[in-house]
Parts: sequence; C-alpha cells; structure tokens
Amino acid sequence: MNAPAPAPPRAEPRADGPQALYFDGRSARAHAVQLGLRDGCLLAWRVNPAAPLDDPFDPAFDPTTVRRWPLAQVQWPERTRHGQRTLHLADGATLQVSDSAAFDAWRAQHGPRESWVVRAQQQWRSTLVALVLLLVVGAVGYRWGVPLAASGLVALVPAAADEAVGAQALESVQGRWLKPTQLPAQRQQDLRAAFAQMVAQAWPAGGAAGQAPGYTLRFHAATPELGPNAFALPGGDIVITDELVALLEGHDDTLLGVMAHELGHVQLRHGMHALAQFTLLSTATSIALGDFSSVLAVLPAWLAQMGYSRDAEREADAVAVRLLQASGRSPAAMVVLFERLGQRGGADEAAADRGPPMAFASHPADAERVRFFRDAAVGLR
Amino acid sequence: MNDGTTADGEHRLRISFVGSGSEYFRIWIVNLLLTLVTLGLYYPFAKVRRLRYFHRATEVGGHPLSFHADPWKMLRGYLLVVVLFAAYGVAGQFSAVAGLVAFCIIAALWPALWHSSLRFRLANTGWRGLRLHFTGSRGGAYVALAPGFALVLVASTALLPAGDAEPGTPAQELGPGFWLVALLPLLMALATPALLWLMRRYQQGHLALGAEETRFEVGMGRFYGLGLRVLGLTMLAAFVAGLLAALLAFGSGMGGNAGGAGGAGEPPSLANLLFMLVPVLVVFVVFQAAIGPYFISRLQNLVWNGTRSAHLRFESALRFRALAALTLRNWLLIVITLGLYFPFAAVATARLRLQAVALVSTLHPDALFSQVERMSESAAGDAAADIAGIDLGL
Repeated sequence: MNAPAPAPPRAEPRADGPQALYFDGRSARAHAVQLGLRDGCLLAWRVNPAAPLDDPFDPAFDPTTVRRWPLAQVQWPERTRHGQRTLHLADGATLQVSDSAAFDAWRAQHGPRESWVVRAQQQWRSTLVALVLLLVVGAVGYRWGVPLAASGLVALVPAAADEAVGAQALESVQGRWLKPTQLPAQRQQDLRAAFAQMVAQAWPAGGAAGQAPGYTLRFHAATPELGPNAFALPGGDIVITDELVALLEGHDDTLLGVMAHELGHVQLRHGMHALAQFTLLSTATSIALGDFSSVLAVLPAWLAQMGYSRDAEREADAVAVRLLQASGRSPAAMVVLFERLGQRGGADEAAADRGPPMAFASHPADAERVRFFRDAAVGLR
Repeated sequence: MNDGTTADGEHRLRISFVGSGSEYFRIWIVNLLLTLVTLGLYYPFAKVRRLRYFHRATEVGGHPLSFHADPWKMLRGYLLVVVLFAAYGVAGQFSAVAGLVAFCIIAALWPALWHSSLRFRLANTGWRGLRLHFTGSRGGAYVALAPGFALVLVASTALLPAGDAEPGTPAQELGPGFWLVALLPLLMALATPALLWLMRRYQQGHLALGAEETRFEVGMGRFYGLGLRVLGLTMLAAFVAGLLAALLAFGSGMGGNAGGAGGAGEPPSLANLLFMLVPVLVVFVVFQAAIGPYFISRLQNLVWNGTRSAHLRFESALRFRALAALTLRNWLLIVITLGLYFPFAAVATARLRLQAVALVSTLHPDALFSQVERMSESAAGDAAADIAGIDLGL
C-alpha cells in the first residue's frame, strides 16, 4: 500500500456515523469514508486508507479532506427493510451505506424526520389502516364516486356526440347481428303510431315532465344468436327485432312496454353513462393492477360495470312503468315478456333485452323484475 | 462482494434483487390509497416511489441502482400522455375517420415520446454514482417504429371503405381492398418479429455508462426463429384445446340426450355452458402460464446475451420452467386473494428475471471503474430529457 498515512481530520468531527462508499458523480471509483453530522452539515472523510477498497490507489482523493454538505443539499434515502442506503447530494455525489441498520439508527438519532408516507409504509398497523381505507374508498367510489363522475362527464358531452357514438354502434351491430325487417309495413306503422301516442301521453305538451326524448324506432330481423331482443343506442335509436314482435304476438301492451323501457335508456343516456363508467373503472383498476396484467385489471372493472348495468335496467323498468300507466295500461303486461322468454329458453336466455346474449349478468334476475312490475300494477310502487 | 472471476479471465458482476414482497405490499397499499384519493394525481409520485424501491433493491456487483426522477416533472409528462390518449379514445368513439386522424397524430408523435422516455428513464438511473444514458437519436426512434405504424395505417385504411358501405347490402364484389384485408393478419404475423427486432435493436443498442456504449449483436433471423417456435407452440395449444372442446361437446351432448326428456328445442343448461367454457379457460391458462413465459424467457436471454459494449457484456440465463411455474403460482394467488398478492408477485417476478442476468467485464472491475467517467457532452442532453419528464414505462 503506497497510500499516504491517515492524518487526523481537520474539523475534528465526531465519528458518529456509519462507514460509507463515496462516489463523486464523475467517475465510477468508490472511496471508503466515514460519515458524521455537525453544525447542520453532513461530513464525510476518509479514515482508514488501509481498509480494502475498490480502488486503494486513488491519487486524486486527499485523505485529509473532509467533505461537507449543508443538510439542505442532502437527499436522504427512504427507509426500507432490505437493501443499502444511498444519499444523493446536490453536487451530484452519492454516499452509499451497506450497513443499513447502523445508518437507520444513526439517522433516527441525528437525521431529519421521515415523511409520514414513509413511516406509514414501514408499519403493518398503518398498512392495515390504509387497506381498510382503500376498501372504504373503493366502496364509496363504486357506490357514489364513479356514477357521479360519469354523470358529470355525460352532462358535459353534447347530444351530438351521443348520435355519433350511436351511429357507429348501429353500423357495427347491423353488419353482424341484424338483417332487413320482414314485418309488414302496416304492422310497423301501427306499432310506431301506438308508441308515439304512448310517449305523447307520458310527456303532455306544456306538462311538468318537460319534453320527450328524441328517438327512432327501427325494426330488424335478427341473427339466431340475437333472437327476440330489443336495445337502445346512444342518440335515440331503438332496435326491435322481428323475433321479439313475433314472441309477443297478441300482447302489444307488452311490446310497447319494452319500447318504453328502451326509451328509458335513451332518456337517461345509459349508453353514454356506461361508456364513462367503464372508462373510469378500468382506469382505476389498471392503476392498481395494470403493471401485472391488463387482462386481470379489466376483469374487476367489467364486474363493477355489470352492477351499474343492473341499476340502469331497474331505472329503465321504472320508466316503462311510468309510460304504461300514463297511457292507461297495466305494468303487469310486462310479466308476459318474462313468461314468453322463459318458455322459449332456459334461465341462460332470459336476458333478451339488450346487447349480445353473453352479458347475462347485465340484468337483474327475472323474478325480481316480474315482482317489480306486478307490484307496480297493484299500486305498491 | 459477490463478484467472480471466470476461467477465461473475465469478471462476473452478479445481479441480485433484495426487495421483499411484504415490504412492497405496504408501499403499494399506501400509495394506491393516495393515488385513488387524489383522483390519480398522485400516480407519478407513487410510480417514482415504486421505481426507487425496485432500483434500490437491484444490486449489480454489490452496488444498488438508484432512481433520481423528479415526480413533479413526471406529473407533467403523465398529464400530457393522458390527454393524448383521452383524445385518441374519444376520437375513435365518434367516427372511424376521426379515429384514424388521431392515430396518425399519435403515430407521428409516438417515436419522439418513446425516445424521450428512454432517455428520461436511463438518465435518471444511477449506478456507482454515475448516471446511465441513452444515446439513441430521435431519428433512430422513427426508423425503428415507422414500419409498424405504416402497416397499421395500411390496415386501417383498407378497413375503412368496408365501414362506409351501405348497411344491409352484402358486399358481393370483392375489390382489391378485400384481399388486402384478408391477407393482413398473415402480413402482420410475418412482420411482427422484424418489428420487434427493430425496436429491441434501438433500445438495446444505445445504453451507455460513461464511454461504455452498448451495441446490439442479434440478427433479425434469431427473432424469426423465436417467432416460429412461439407460433408452433400456439398452434399445438390451439389443437389440444380444440380436441378437448370436441371431446367435451361429445360428452355433454350424450349427457344432455340421456337426461333431457324435455325435447329437442331445449337450450344448453348452465352446466353444459360451463363445459364449453373449459377449453377457452384452458387456452387462456396455457397462454398465460406457458406460451407467455416461454416467449418472455427466450426473448430476455436472446436480447441481453446479444447486448455488449467495449468491455462489458450481459449474460442472461432465465429458465422457462422456473418462469412458467412462478407465473402460474402468481396468477393463482392473485385470483385467490382478489389482487392482494399482486405486490408479492411483482417482487418474485423481478427477482427471478433480474437474478438470471449477470454483467461480465473483460477488465478487472477496479481497472474498469477507474476509467469509466461521465461523458461531459451527454450531461446537457440528459438535462433536456429531464425537462420532458415523459416516462412511458416501456
């Protein structure tokens, strides 16, 4: 070893810190140093050049020099259970401490206080509190936050946007699920007229209910997968399949009730709400889990969206009840829909209201909806 | 230190990962709560904390990496990217043409963003007191990404007229557009290894520590070799799943006839429906737990074993079986714990993937580190990268 003999440090600082490796930020060379704190400064000096270092022959490093940094220029590391501690200094230098336990003890005694986030991260108790709060925030966000934010977003979106979104959705649905209708023109015209009258009765001119939402009734034959079905798109397109008209043959009140239900979706802009809700939900879940798997992140968002969808169906059912009653019909007419659908298929096919049949969790249970319409008919709701 | 000298006079700097799942769990929970409560604004701060943790836990030759990014600068970049993607998403909802225009704008900006993101990430990564840097040029990023974007653009314009056709009228005449559309999946599949190679060449060929600047020494052919093997495995999995589906359909069909006295028109019961879901589930699990890990492990080894500089090279020996077992375990536990296992999974995956890599030096580390110095001209560029603050996390 031809390094110079150790000279006592000039400032006579207390040797109160752990050993560290000093990197000047310009070269990858390491220098073993001793850390100390005095007079609001962090100090580092080389005490034992004979100790095994990465580079014991560094001529540039003067062993008598004490390096000092005002504490304001020191970025302290966040405490962790494993790993080394690295201090970053304003001049680009770093100090690396491998004896983390000694460093933490020294810092707790002399160094600055840790931020509350770091302290919270280090304790299981606060983690548990955070977990509980997270569940509460999640529940509140799901119950009130997302629907409220979605309503705010939808209120900002002009009605023209609904039409553009609906037009594009209709285009893609027409290509895959729908064919030109086979219904006689007279039958179509009768249904349109009956529904127009029903809407006019629910929203009388100058009445308190305001203006009826704009809508366009479209009759289409459906592919077998779609079958008897009706759905509403943003912008007011209401699609009724020929198969549904056939299923409800002789029960025009029921068919009008289905149309009223779809008009409820249009009036309450459920399509746009769903879009906004799903965007918000999937953003939240991908922040939490997106680093691991985007598939896994979308799954909870989709499940939550199904919950909102069931709520939307209940709201649309309420609109259907209102329209049926306003036109002097009984809400009990809707029960026929569920009976017919039940006769046609098993439990899996009951969701004959909107969208592809795969979304079978998007609607409340049939029994619940039948009860709702029955109760409405006898004036319980 | 856990450095070792190999037989041929090379010196191996091992990479070890000292993070722990339970510790990252606590960091994750606290920061996730803060992110949700602040409606996402805390996200860059949480991300910096996560990256700091993972960098600090990664020790190369006994020395931890460090992460220096300023979360306030990242917040700006993050907001920019959010606005960009929100605009893209909204435009796509309105009309196909608006979506295409938005795609073109993003395609024009994306390579520049990618370039600044790579520079930002490396310039904020430190090791042994030195910052790394990314030496790739902005033009290079455009060269690497342009072919992929061009292909997607051709695909979308070819699909556009189909959307404009009168609804309801079946397209009887097959124009040249149809054949282009029909051939596109094939074209895409053929191009994917080349596109991936272009990207990796750009990323891996411009990493620098002082004057040590990497080059990428893997030919495009190796990527096609990997692509072919992945394709073969995928087809094998699809075949097995198809076989399974056929067997199940046959089996459940028999059962349905035996028990279903109701009549021919009876729809499939819930149990039968679940049976039909089994092959889908099998394909999904096989993809996640076998083909994904196979691709990831082989790609990591291929890419890092071909990355070297004047005195340094990487050795990656990530084993497929270990990664597949870990992935399956992670998936199962994440699903069982409803997501709470996620941080443990992230740490375990990082440990396995990082500890499979070693840095190999042809010089003795002392000699190497006494000559590795910061390049003065790179400092200004890194400062510029710092201003953009864009971190796409690629």
